[in-house]
Amino acid sequence: MSQLLKRTLLAATALIASASAAQAGAITVYSALEEDEIAAYLAAAKTALPGVEVNVLRLSTGDLGARLIAEAANPQADAVWGFAVTNTMHPDILKQLEPYAAKGLDKVPAQFKAKDNAWFAATGYVGALCVNTEVMKAKKLPMPTSWKDLTNPAYKGELVMPNPASSGTGYLQVAAILQGAGEAEGWKLIKALDPNMAQYTTSGSKPCKMARAGEFAIGASLAFVAMQSIEQGYPVKMVIPSDYAGYELEASGLMKSSKNKADAKAFLDWTLSADAAKLYASFKEMTTLPGAPQSAMAKKAGLPADLTKVLYPMDFAKSAKEREGILKTWQATVGR
Amino acid sequence: MSTARLAPADRLLLVVSIGVPLIGLALFFLYPLGTIAVRSLTATDGSIGLANYAAVLSNPGIGAATWNSLVLSAATTAICLVLGFAIAYTLQRTRLRGRGLVTVALALPMLAPSLVQGLGILFILGRNGLVHKWTGLPVDAYGFTGLLISDVFYALPQAVLILQAALRHSDARYYDAAQVMGAGRWRQFFDITLPNARFGLLSAGFVVFTVTITDFGNAAVIGGNFRVLATEIYAQVSGQMNFGMGAVVGILLLLPTLVAVAIERVATQRQFGGGSESAIPVPPDSVRARDLPLGILVHGAALSIILVVATVVFASFVRLWPYNLSLTLKNYDITIAGGYRPLWTTLEVSLVAAGLGVALLFLLAFGMKRLPPALAKLAYLAAVLPVGVPGMVLGLSYVFAFNLGDNLLGILYGGSLLIALCNFYHYHSQGFLTMMTGMRTVPPALEEAISCLGGGLGAVLRDAVLPFIATTAVSVFFFLFMRSMVTLSAVIFLITPRLSVAAVSVMRLDEAGFVSQAAAFSTCIIITVLAAMMAMRVALNWASRRRA
Repeated sequence: MSQLLKRTLLAATALIASASAAQAGAITVYSALEEDEIAAYLAAAKTALPGVEVNVLRLSTGDLGARLIAEAANPQADAVWGFAVTNTMHPDILKQLEPYAAKGLDKVPAQFKAKDNAWFAATGYVGALCVNTEVMKAKKLPMPTSWKDLTNPAYKGELVMPNPASSGTGYLQVAAILQGAGEAEGWKLIKALDPNMAQYTTSGSKPCKMARAGEFAIGASLAFVAMQSIEQGYPVKMVIPSDYAGYELEASGLMKSSKNKADAKAFLDWTLSADAAKLYASFKEMTTLPGAPQSAMAKKAGLPADLTKVLYPMDFAKSAKEREGILKTWQATVGR
Repeated sequence: MSTARLAPADRLLLVVSIGVPLIGLALFFLYPLGTIAVRSLTATDGSIGLANYAAVLSNPGIGAATWNSLVLSAATTAICLVLGFAIAYTLQRTRLRGRGLVTVALALPMLAPSLVQGLGILFILGRNGLVHKWTGLPVDAYGFTGLLISDVFYALPQAVLILQAALRHSDARYYDAAQVMGAGRWRQFFDITLPNARFGLLSAGFVVFTVTITDFGNAAVIGGNFRVLATEIYAQVSGQMNFGMGAVVGILLLLPTLVAVAIERVATQRQFGGGSESAIPVPPDSVRARDLPLGILVHGAALSIILVVATVVFASFVRLWPYNLSLTLKNYDITIAGGYRPLWTTLEVSLVAAGLGVALLFLLAFGMKRLPPALAKLAYLAAVLPVGVPGMVLGLSYVFAFNLGDNLLGILYGGSLLIALCNFYHYHSQGFLTMMTGMRTVPPALEEAISCLGGGLGAVLRDAVLPFIATTAVSVFFFLFMRSMVTLSAVIFLITPRLSVAAVSVMRLDEAGFVSQAAAFSTCIIITVLAAMMAMRVALNWASRRRA
C-alpha cells in the first residue's frame, strides 16, 4: 500500500512539474493564425532565431479571446500573434498589451497599426463567398458577383452566412456592408438578404464547408477557406463581393506581463522581417508589408493582385466600438 | 450505524472516506463555480449587482432560446428513458442475441469526439447526404430533428449506464411470488420492475435532461437556426467576449439541477425488491412475444449508432468526400497540430481521471448514508450539480480559480493533473448517480450483520459493499475514461503549447479545414480507447480469476 502511495505521489509530482513552462530562451505565443501556416512560419523563425524556443498555443479567434480575458489576472503568454484586431481592441485585452515599436514597423502603413504601437498587423484575411459550382449547375442558379446579387429570390434557402453574434467573420461581413452602404441602406440590404438565408452558423468557416460539401449553393465565409477548398479539389469558385468586401487584420503585440520580453520582441521583429514577408506571400491573401508578391493559391483562386481595389477601407476602431449596438439591431431585425 | 459506536480506526476511515471526496468537490467544483457566480454579478464597469441578469433577461433572443432548450431537453429525455430502459432491460434481463454488439454500439457515442456524430448524421441525412443522393428526397437534418437525433445519441449511453445499475441486482423471489399469485408479465413489470428502478429512472431522466440543456457541441454542428441556451453562452463569451452575460446564462442553467433535491428525497426512501442479503438474482430469460419487439427496437437503435460512426470512419479513408470516393490512407498522415502525440497524453490524463474519479466516487457514495441528514442533503446537491455546468463555463471557471501564479493551487495550472481533475468533475454527477444507484442494491442487513459480528468498517467495505458494487464501479471507471478521452469544451481553456489533448487535435484539424483528417484522428481515438478498454478488461478478468 505504502509503495503504491509513494508511486502515486511521485506520478502526481511529475504531472505537476510538467506544468512549469517558464524557461530561459523560451516564449509562449498565443495565435489564431491557421495551423499549417504557423508550422511553416515557426520552421523559418527557428533558423532566424536559433536561441529562442517559440511555443505556440493555437485557438480560434473566439476561444483565444475568451482565454486571454480569463487569464488577465495572471497572463500566461509573452506575445499575441495574428489575432483579429477587432478582438484585440477589447479593453480587457488591449490593456494587457505593451506598446512596442518592432523593427520594421515603419514600413507598415498607419492604418494597419495602433497609434501607440500597442499592436500591428502584418497580415489579414478577406471575406469571400464560396460558390459550389456543381450545385449551381444542378439548380441552374446565376453566378453572383455582389451582396446585392444575392438578394435575388432565386437563391432562396441556398445561402448560408455566419451569425455575427457568435462569429468574427460574420461580424466583419455585416460591418463591411454597414460601413460601405451606410446605416440605412446597409440594414435594408441585410434585411433583403434574410429571406434567402437558410442558416446563420456559429463559426465563420462553416458556411464555406457547407457549401463545398454541396449542402448549400453559396456560403459567405473567408477567402482563405475558399482558396483551401479549391486547392483540396472541391468544386468551389471564390467570389469576392464587388460591392462590400470586408476584411479583418491579424494583429500582433507584446504582453505587458511577459517575463522574457527580449525574446518576445525578437520574435515580433521577425514577423515583420523580409523572411516572414516571403512566407506570407505563400499563405496569405492579404499582407500589409509592401512588396510582397501574391501567393500562388490566391492567384489560382482568382483573387485580384491589388486587393486594395476591391476591399472597402474599414474603420476598425469604429467597428469595434459599434459592435454591441450593431449586434443588438441585428438580433432585433433578422436574428433567429 | 452511528458514528459513536465505531472504533477509532474506523472513525478515521469514515472521516477520510467522506472528507476527501467532499474536499475535492469543494476545491475543484464549488470554488471554481463560485468564481463564475462572482462574474455573473460583476458588470462591465466593474460594479457589483444584477445588471447582467437584467441584460440577459431583456435580451430578445433569450426567451426563444430558453423555450427551445426546454422542448429539446424534454423530448430527448422522453426518448432516452424509453429507449434506455429497453436497452438496459435487454442487457440485464434477457438472453437476446447480439447483446455484446449493443454494448459496443452504446460505447461509441461516449468515446467518439462530438464532431463524429454531427458529421455522421450530416453525411447520411444532410441536404447532400447519402439518403438524399440515393432517394432524391429533399432531406434537411439541420434544426430540431437533427439536433434531437444527435442529442439522443449523446445522452442515451449515459441513461443506460444508470439504468443498468438499477436493474443489475434484483430479487427473483418477488417475481416468483407474483407468478404464484397469478400476476401476468405486464403486471410484474409495472408492479415490481418499474418501481424497483424508480431511483434509476429519476436519476437517468435528470442526467439526460441536464446534459442536453448544457450541450453545445451538437447544437453548433447541427442545430442550424434552432438557437439554444448553450449556443447563447458561446455567442456571449466567444463571439462577443462578454463574460458577465455568459456567466449569467451559465448560472441560470443550474436551475434545472435543483430538481435533484427531489431525487434525493426518493433516494432516502427504502425500496423493496433489491438490496436483500438473501436475494436470489433474477435469471435472464427468453420470452418470444417480448423479445421480438424489444430486439427490433434495441438493435435498431444500436445499428443506427454504428451506422453513423461507421460512415465517418469510412469517410476518413476517402480521398474527397462526397466527390471522390476512392480510398486512401493519406488522411492518416497527420503532422500539424502536434501529430499523434496528444493522443498519448490524453490516454494518461484519462487513466488518472478515471482512477482517481472512481475511487473518490466510491468513497463518497459509501459515506453518504453515514452522514447526518442535513449534511447529506448538501453533499448530494453538490455532487449532482456539475452536470448542470456547460463545459465552456467549467473550463473558464478553472482559469479563474487556478491561474494564480506560484501558490499552492496555482501550481496545478498548466499541468495535466488539472485537466484530469476538470474532466472528472465535469462528469461527476453521472458517475455519482450511477454509484448511488448501485449502492442501493447493497443489502443493508448484510452490512449490519458484518458489523454485529465485530467486523470493522473495512470488513463491511470488503465483504458487503465491494461484491455488490464492483461491476457498477468498473462501468463508472470506463465511463469516466471514455468521456475524459474526448471531452473538449472545458479543456480548450486548460491546454498549453506543450500540453494538448486528442479532442483538441480533432477540433484544430476541423478548424483548419482538414475534415477528413479530423475524421481520421477521431477514428484513431476510437480504436485507441476500444483497445485500452479491452486490455483493461482482460487484466481485470485475469486479476479477479487469480483472486478467486
